[in-house]
Amino acid sequence: MRLGLVIDLDVCVGCHACAVSCKQWNASGTTGALPDYQPYGAEPSGVWFNRIRHFEVGSYPNSKTVNFPMSCMHCEDADCVTVCPTGASYKRAEDGIVLIDQDKCMGCNYCSWACPYGARELDRSTGTMKKCTLCVDRIYDQNIPVEDRQPACVLTCPAHARMFGDFDDPDSEVSKVVREREGYMLLPELGYNPTNHYLPPRKHKPIPVEMSADKTGLAGKLKQFVNRMVKR
Amino acid sequence: MHARIPTEDHARQEVKYSTCYMCACRCGIKVTLQEGKVRFIQGNRNHPTNQGVLCAKGSAGIMKQYSKARLSEPLIRKPGTERGAGEFEVISWEQALDILTQRLQEIRATDPSKLAFFTGRDQMQALTGLWAQQFGTPNWAAHGGFCSVNMAVAGLYTIGFSFWEFGAPDWDYAKYFIMWGVAEDHSSNPIKIGLEKLKRGGGKFVTVNPVRTGYSAIADEWVPIKPGMDGLFALSIVHVLLSRELFDYEFLVNYTNATWLVIQNPGHPDDGLFLRDVNGQPQVWDLERETFVNGIEAGITPALFGDFVAQDGRRLKTVFSLMAERYLDERYAPANVAAECGVPAETIERIALEMAHVAFKESIEFPIEWTDVWGRKHDKVVGRPVAMYAMRGISAHSNGFHACRAIHFIQMLLGALDGPGNFRARAPYPKPIPPHQQPENNVDIINAPNTALSRPPLGFPTRPEDLVIDERGNPLRIDKAYSWEAPLSSHGLMHMVITNAANHDPYALDTLILFMSNMAWNSTMNTQAIQDMLRQKDPESFGEYKIPFLVVVDAFHSEMVNFADLVLPDTTYLERHDCISLLDRPISEPDAAADAIRYPLITPDRNVRPWQEVMVELASRLKFPAFTNKDGTRKFRDYPDFIVNYERSPGVGFLSGWRGKNGDKFLKGEPNPNQWQAYINNQSFFAHHWPDNQKYMRFVNRDYLEVASDAGFLGKVEPIIMQFYSEPLQKFRLAGQGLYDGPQPKDPADKERLTKYFDPLPLWYEPLEQQRVDAEEYPFYALTQRPMFMYHSWDSQNAWLRQIMAQNYLYMNARKATDLGLKDFDWVWVESRNGRIRCQLKTMEGCQENTVWTWNAIGKQKGAWGLKEEASEATRGFLLNHLISELLPERNGERRITNSDPVSGQAAWFDLRVKIRKAEPGETGSWPQFPSIKRLPTDSYSRPEVLRYDARIAQDDKGQS
Amino acid sequence: MHPAFSVIFFTVLSGAGFGLFALLYLADLFKLGGGMPGAHVFWTGVLAIVMVGVGLLSSTLHLANPRNAWRAFSRWRTSWLSREGVLSVAFYPFAMIYLALYWLDIWPIVRHLSGALATLIAWMTIFSTAMIYASLKTIRQWNTPLVPAAYLSLGHFSGGMILLVVAMMAKVDVMPYVLMSLFQLFVAAFVKMIYFYWITRIGVGSTINTATGFTRAQVRLLDAGHTHGTFLTQEFGYQVPRMRASGLKVISMVLAFGLPVLLLGLALKQANLALSMAALLSVFAGLVAERWLFFAEARHVVNLFHGSQRC
Ligand SMILES: Nc1nc2c(c(=O)[nH]1)N[C@H]1C(S)=C(S)[C@@H](COP(=O)(O)OP(=O)(O)OC[C@H]3O[C@@H](n4cnc5c(=O)[nH]c(N)nc54)[C@H](O)[C@@H]3O)O[C@H]1N2
Ligand SMILES: Nc1nc2c(c(=O)[nH]1)N[C@H]1C(S)=C(S)[C@@H](COP(=O)(O)OP(=O)(O)OC[C@H]3O[C@@H](n4cnc5c(=O)[nH]c(N)nc54)[C@H](O)[C@@H]3O)O[C@H]1N2
Ligand code: SF4
Ligand code: SF4
Ligand code: SF4
Ligand code: SF4
Ligand code: SF4
Ligand SMILES: [Mo]
Repeated sequence: MRLGLVIDLDVCVGCHACAVSCKQWNASGTTGALPDYQPYGAEPSGVWFNRIRHFEVGSYPNSKTVNFPMSCMHCEDADCVTVCPTGASYKRAEDGIVLIDQDKCMGCNYCSWACPYGARELDRSTGTMKKCTLCVDRIYDQNIPVEDRQPACVLTCPAHARMFGDFDDPDSEVSKVVREREGYMLLPELGYNPTNHYLPPRKHKPIPVEMSADKTGLAGKLKQFVNRMVKR
Repeated sequence: MHARIPTEDHARQEVKYSTCYMCACRCGIKVTLQEGKVRFIQGNRNHPTNQGVLCAKGSAGIMKQYSKARLSEPLIRKPGTERGAGEFEVISWEQALDILTQRLQEIRATDPSKLAFFTGRDQMQALTGLWAQQFGTPNWAAHGGFCSVNMAVAGLYTIGFSFWEFGAPDWDYAKYFIMWGVAEDHSSNPIKIGLEKLKRGGGKFVTVNPVRTGYSAIADEWVPIKPGMDGLFALSIVHVLLSRELFDYEFLVNYTNATWLVIQNPGHPDDGLFLRDVNGQPQVWDLERETFVNGIEAGITPALFGDFVAQDGRRLKTVFSLMAERYLDERYAPANVAAECGVPAETIERIALEMAHVAFKESIEFPIEWTDVWGRKHDKVVGRPVAMYAMRGISAHSNGFHACRAIHFIQMLLGALDGPGNFRARAPYPKPIPPHQQPENNVDIINAPNTALSRPPLGFPTRPEDLVIDERGNPLRIDKAYSWEAPLSSHGLMHMVITNAANHDPYALDTLILFMSNMAWNSTMNTQAIQDMLRQKDPESFGEYKIPFLVVVDAFHSEMVNFADLVLPDTTYLERHDCISLLDRPISEPDAAADAIRYPLITPDRNVRPWQEVMVELASRLKFPAFTNKDGTRKFRDYPDFIVNYERSPGVGFLSGWRGKNGDKFLKGEPNPNQWQAYINNQSFFAHHWPDNQKYMRFVNRDYLEVASDAGFLGKVEPIIMQFYSEPLQKFRLAGQGLYDGPQPKDPADKERLTKYFDPLPLWYEPLEQQRVDAEEYPFYALTQRPMFMYHSWDSQNAWLRQIMAQNYLYMNARKATDLGLKDFDWVWVESRNGRIRCQLKTMEGCQENTVWTWNAIGKQKGAWGLKEEASEATRGFLLNHLISELLPERNGERRITNSDPVSGQAAWFDLRVKIRKAEPGETGSWPQFPSIKRLPTDSYSRPEVLRYDARIAQDDKGQS
Repeated sequence: MHPAFSVIFFTVLSGAGFGLFALLYLADLFKLGGGMPGAHVFWTGVLAIVMVGVGLLSSTLHLANPRNAWRAFSRWRTSWLSREGVLSVAFYPFAMIYLALYWLDIWPIVRHLSGALATLIAWMTIFSTAMIYASLKTIRQWNTPLVPAAYLSLGHFSGGMILLVVAMMAKVDVMPYVLMSLFQLFVAAFVKMIYFYWITRIGVGSTINTATGFTRAQVRLLDAGHTHGTFLTQEFGYQVPRMRASGLKVISMVLAFGLPVLLLGLALKQANLALSMAALLSVFAGLVAERWLFFAEARHVVNLFHGSQRC
């Protein structure tokens, strides 16, 4: 199995729901708590596993705003794992999820240096590195309804811009949409082979219209209107 | 080898369902509690509103629940201290209620109008309105007047339902969707769910908005219109549709007043009114019978076009002929409006034609049998799958009423209303046009001591006689709603309350109760001046304030709380009973009538009481008729008891599900003592799904109308004919022209406004403020938008959400900024005719060139919201509101007039024009800065440098681990 | 990259320590300048070991959770950081045996063997340290063989300068030491110059376009989704102003190479201890600046998601 996410940039409205739901779930989850620094102070910040960025493509008036959620890509060739000196970072053989063992991490930050996607954030209070767990503590929980065994971010996304599934299975929804919509990886040139894929914005096909502007003047136009017999 | 992944300890958890409160969308939530602490809030997938999803605000409910700004005891302003100084003393609930009861008793026994009770987006206006009515004061309204009354009134006077919360696009079948001026909306999650559906189905999404963020980001086409120009743009589309004869002839004839005959008799009191028969029925010309017939009836063949002469010789024209004359005029040709709108003529024409193509060439048919109100059977419904939605980008301009009507014109021309793929009504809408409910305006009743009003304070005037004014024409309401200044202000003018009350214009108040609205900060225009008014003393009566007694009901330490004389601390949404009622602004969807509840999932750890409880308590103490038995004892034990047992009319109460003694009736039925439990068992909501034959064309759908009138949504079963031509507007115009046979305004300003703006057909005019402000001196339009992850001022207290945004910037078109020598992160001075502010600039591509904008309500007063004084929100964030005035610029010899739509009284937030210059070196930080708000005596919350919330770890009562 | 002082200190110090040890051993092996007296060799060796040790300890300062530092020895198969740790620890027994046998003056074969091994490990350690950086595909300014070349040459150059001072104090024939230092200086300066030249002409690698997948239009960051810094902006967001970087580059080159060349040139004529001490100090000051720049000029690709156009 190779589990991961598909993010549909065609419909992501950039609402940050996935980011907050992720924060909420994981605060009391496997690697929780997630610290918040200066939560009521001058410059609030904290550890998040999922962040939404907003880009603009092209220039006015033909610019397009693209909302860009990013979390761990659960890369196939995850250097964050190979560089980790302690073995705290690991990639699970059974499903490809990349995790950090909080009991082993020494907080050297090296894995975060190796990650091109900014997926890893240090918890300054525990001194350990943290990151998206693909909600491993939800997706296998046999005690919640099957339809709830999804990452928190996927469950919550109001635009259904996030899909979760097995990329090894060619018939899974994620594999299919990636094929059909030409899903792509970020920074492919770095060779991390990320599992998460992004779907590009769709192009809407033109609606046929005849633009030959009608130049009939007001008087002529009014005369042209003929009453039709429409019976109520 | 690797760590075992621990899963949830479900034995320590409980799952409960309730309703989100973080915004007015009111999604269903599924709350996992871990030994009394909130572990996880997710969307309820069975809920009709959000179908399982949840937005950022909803997901951050935990940090709201454990906010440091929570109020925890009733407070009274410390004797001898000044209002606004923030000195409070704790009092008991008994004391607080005694003080208030005594005060209210006195007011009620003397001059009930001296109480004003205004509320924010509370979602329980049925109760607050009833309370005010029972008290006997006309001075009640919710936030609609500063929110989106333009949309409500334009819709309810035109199509019988409206944008805002009374309708929704049919996302399942729409193929073309055009969104006007929406950033987030009350229908927050449904729009997101819907846009994805639409795009997945290959539908086209067009956004008309000066700014491209959020929803607009994912539009297939962005129309960066100049602010305030939508009316013109829409009317130009109308021009294209008319000039190409692209309209749904049958729809117009059957379901609109396009064929009704308008009297052409300039200079006479009947000019512009409909030709009516002796029974008051509007007349049309029957092409078959060649005579005038009742336009409401079936079996007629009305003429859509034409000039006619009435039996009595008066000249007549059909509504549609009047429309054609007006909108076919070259004034509205795309080429002639392009420059004003900032939209190329080609784009205007193409969009009009695209819509027409989809409406007429890609129409859909469902083999659904239905019966119309005239008893005729139809074997199918036809959908012209063009849907629209519009909100504050239209609404928050002083020409928004007409702009919104212009948009409805496009929908009516296309026959694209309440059919498959259209903008469709949400129960209890559609209603008669306008709804048959008049605001209380009987002076004797209003002035009568200890007397309830005979009807609610708010309603829908149809003629000058319905205004709420005295015989001299003076407003009877403190906000001057339903006066000549804003005749159709059906949601009141909350933004005028403080100004008017402080000016004792039209009269002085004794007590002002503000519930759930931050009127001293972000929901007011002219913040600084408003704060001064709140502190203003009355030179006439020693030591008294201009507004003598100010009661603030809030759950959190807002800027408004700081000005209270009495603070009544409310519970949070997870701690109380609530009811989201069909009598109110319900959560219905087009396919289902729905309502919902909240019930306490968490026991408050503070001495707080739900405001609903307090209202029922006060109503009982004050012996309001509806709350008192014949023998004088209280009728309702508490709020839940009231909700179950109160009947507005027999069988109709606040909750529509599980009515009847056995709980087996819906919409209507006797009270059911177990109703709350029934809701709780059904995950806290009720949905009545309309059968297929009642889903569409409900304005004339007999089966639907029968159920609706039975349930009390409507008075009786009658066709709801959509109104292109608005006769009520014409009546007010006649009054302005001095032709009306009834009350008429005396002030020339009113006359002029009525004559100009009460046009029975939509028109476009330059927004009022802009008519009086030099566009060259103030070259930029200035707007705000709501961020999707923040609810007005109240989410900055949220430790998670404020990490996403703790400072707002002023955004400007990048090329424009370069031209002006400005760049990212420059501090700039922004100046309007009302004042100036300093803020930080950011540039972007997706912004119309003449427009600057910022996120709404991020800026905070120091010390508020449980934040430390150095919080970015206070030092670097800013409010645009300082630049906006609640009054139009002064004009010689004219009284000061509200900066609102002249028809609906809608606050014109977005008419603002500004100029911008770079701040001097060293001038950094936002300006103005306000004095820091003092910490409350009850605030013993720790504000740690690091917060580590974890529901599994025991916390103290401060929500602190 | 955020230039963390502990890491700068560590890399400069331990690099020099390892370089010093390697050169000390070689000088001992080839009896450079006639061979230094035993005590000098011994104490210089101790100095090298201490420098390595202090460097290593300081590197643990930047660990957020040093309790688990011991685990860093476990992943030597894949992690250069782990390898560096393993090797630097492995260095100690051999280096100590070498010095102990020197002190005791016994078992020359064993001594040489362990000296050779320690030298080999020293080289490998410097190489590993360099590879910690050079192996990161995320930072193009590091992802080059020039980095190990620079670490090795700078480590030897700085270590050699110490050895030169020792040689002067030991009053052996300093000429070979001076020549060796000059040679190393030129090699190091050459490598570093190539590096500086190379990073300015690094060409187009990852851009905001490849980062977002929008390769055919201008892409600009509108909002990073947080008002204030995050771990990522703190760790990777550091950006040294271009003018300051160029200035510092000149200063570091002058201090590390220019000034020492002059001083060594003088030293060539008159074996003056003070001059070479001054040169040594100048070298270390230059190297600290060089190392600071090494971090400060490195642009992690994650910056593309925070608004950089290219990295
Ligand atoms: N997350 C979140 N959701 C909310 C709220 C909140 O605070 N936060 N508030 C709730 C409330 S009270 C309300 S009233 C609704 C309002 O919801 P919206 O109607 O979405 O209100 P705004 O955010 O003011 O968005 C107005 C939009 O109109 C655009 N605009 C401004 N002027 C013009 C114009 O002249 N023409 C056009 N075409 N567009 C224009 C602006 O750029 C902006 O995108 O949202 C509700 N939902
Ligand atoms: N510049 C500019 N200004 C605007 C707008 C704009 O677009 N631009 N939009 C306008 C519009 S449409 C609106 S609706 C207003 C909204 O403005 P406000 O009505 O002021 O809305 P909030 O800031 O959310 O304040 C609501 C208050 O309710 C309190 N509250 C929250 N939960 C509870 C509770 O459970 N019980 C009680 N009793 N109180 C609670 C909060 O603490 C807060 O003090 O802003 C208006 N102001
Ligand atoms: S995204 Fe980063 S942290 Fe996640 S697997 Fe890839 S390299 Fe590792
Ligand atoms: S920070 Fe932790 S997980 Fe990352 S490389 Fe260091 S030890 Fe491994
Ligand atoms: S999969 Fe889970 S941990 Fe990862 S981003 Fe989504 S919610 Fe967060
Ligand atoms: S929740 Fe969905 S729509 Fe919102 S930011 Fe995340 S991916 Fe985008
Ligand atoms: S849209 Fe968000 S904040 Fe509003 S009710 Fe729904 S979940 Fe709550
Ligand atoms: Mo609003």
